[in-house]
Amino acid sequence: MMRLTVLSLLLLLAGCTAAWSAVGCDLNDPDRDVARLFPESTGYKTIYTSILKKGGEKMLSTVETRLGDKFKGIYETIEVPYTIYEIYANKKKIGYIHGVNQKGQFGGIQVFVVLDLEGTIKGFYIQKMTSQYAGRLRDAKFGRQFIGLTLKDFDHYDVVSGHASGKVEAIKNPAPEAEADFRAALRATKKNLILMDEFVYSAQPSPSSQEVPKK
Amino acid sequence: MITKFQIAYKNLLRKRVRSLLTLMGIAVSAWVLVSLLGFNQGYETSLNKDIDNMGFQLMVMAKGCPYEAATMMLKGGTGLKYMDESIMKDVAKEPEVEKITPILMSAVFDANKGESGGIAGYFGVEPKSFAEMKPFLKFRQGGWFTDTNSYEAVMGYEAAELEQREVGDEILMPEKNVKFKVVGILNRTGTQDDGTIFVPLKTTQKIFNRPNEITTIGIKLKKGVNSAPLEEKLYQLPDVQIVSLAQVKDTIMKLISTAQVMVLSIATIAILIAIVGVINTILTSVWERFQEIGILKTVGAMPWDIFKLIWIETVILCTTGGVIGVILALILSRITDMVMRAVLPYAPSGGLVLIDFKLILITLVGIVCIGLLSGIYPAWRAGRIRPLEAIRGEAAR
Repeated sequence: MMRLTVLSLLLLLAGCTAAWSAVGCDLNDPDRDVARLFPESTGYKTIYTSILKKGGEKMLSTVETRLGDKFKGIYETIEVPYTIYEIYANKKKIGYIHGVNQKGQFGGIQVFVVLDLEGTIKGFYIQKMTSQYAGRLRDAKFGRQFIGLTLKDFDHYDVVSGHASGKVEAIKNPAPEAEADFRAALRATKKNLILMDEFVYSAQPSPSSQEVPKK
Repeated sequence: MITKFQIAYKNLLRKRVRSLLTLMGIAVSAWVLVSLLGFNQGYETSLNKDIDNMGFQLMVMAKGCPYEAATMMLKGGTGLKYMDESIMKDVAKEPEVEKITPILMSAVFDANKGESGGIAGYFGVEPKSFAEMKPFLKFRQGGWFTDTNSYEAVMGYEAAELEQREVGDEILMPEKNVKFKVVGILNRTGTQDDGTIFVPLKTTQKIFNRPNEITTIGIKLKKGVNSAPLEEKLYQLPDVQIVSLAQVKDTIMKLISTAQVMVLSIATIAILIAIVGVINTILTSVWERFQEIGILKTVGAMPWDIFKLIWIETVILCTTGGVIGVILALILSRITDMVMRAVLPYAPSGGLVLIDFKLILITLVGIVCIGLLSGIYPAWRAGRIRPLEAIRGEAAR
């Protein structure tokens, strides 16, 4: 009897911790999520990096300038770890999946973009969002509006005022009641693309098939 | 003049591979032993810390609550058992009780967490009594809510990090769509509190439509009080069960003891093999130097001198092996910790392997003593070699 009680308590305590244990922005179930987000993939390699590790204050300043906004608060800092999933089809690298945390109106938003080797968005996924209207923003229909966009398209998106032009302007907010979270999702996407450009695309001479997949 | 120690050392170097293999045997045994003993004290220390960090020694719960509390995380808070908070008066009047605090555990399903949704847990607490129970909780930002009817929240470190919340921000309780203002963010504690969102008790009762109901009463006992009589008395209360954290600790330790016995058995076998290895190595070395020992005796060496010479070889092997084993245990303690965590059904949050100076000293002294014991027979045999028979190579081995 007591043993069962203890085990139940342990499960409870473990459950509490597990429910919140995610730090940074990783896919909850990488094996399942990579296969779902990148159906043609056969494997992936996980790379951990940070602005601090890759370029320090100079890179942070570059990212902030390109973003048009300062990193804010106690969670958006130079030390934040980022997880880049390098996607492979057999032995050929075919793209990336990368997520960032973004402060939303009522909680953290985790925005992932699926990119090809040229940096074009192939898929868009909000893993987590706390809002009454989260369902609409997490809907695949909303995500499809991002497909085909590149960092260049976000160049003229002002993350502070929310003013957009070109293809980004065409992205419709499916939940006007949650304008703050809509804007947060766009800011997260722009930040995500800038970081990927700094970490990956600018760092390599040309997109080509390389390296051997892990899985 | 060459000392006995130098002779013994040179003798061991004559058969380097054999000496090295014996040394490795002892080192592995010492490593297993130190790691095991380190695990024994590390696990208990961390478990004690985790239990102390809960802030109370006894919990009163509605009957069946622990089981339901566990399933709460899986089923979204359905089926929880509640008790009337008036029971607190009965608990508080017991002379053994120093402080009590009521808790209403609650959980909601958040459909927008991952692909298939997840559970978000909220602890309804009374800030004054809860904070008194857990004085070690320090704030990174802000402080406790002051009104138990307010819509304010205090977030554990990891919960705040995941939700990117700072003091002044709002959070939304999924499913119920109730907004709370974040008034405090706790420092990291390394306990389950890091992932918890605390909200005022009365507000939680209102949101979940559980007026005057709670799921748990945390009890802090007066210093030096034996909890058993109090538990007996509390069991007389209707429809409650008592969970003693001392019992929780004992039960966990009992569960862990199975693993400890297994590892201890392996360590004992490893030590026995090492002892046999040492005896074998030294005895073989004695037989190989049979004539040499005979000559030593002929030129005046007494049996006790030969005994000491052989014994010193054993001590060198065991001491060196023991030191290497201890170094291995220190270097690999993090890996041992990870392996233990992977294998055990439950591991507390602190370090599982605690190797301190006392433990190292005890192990080394133990291994040297075992070495001295295992060296007695070969040394005694060497001391009894008859010089003339040895020189002629006739002695029965």
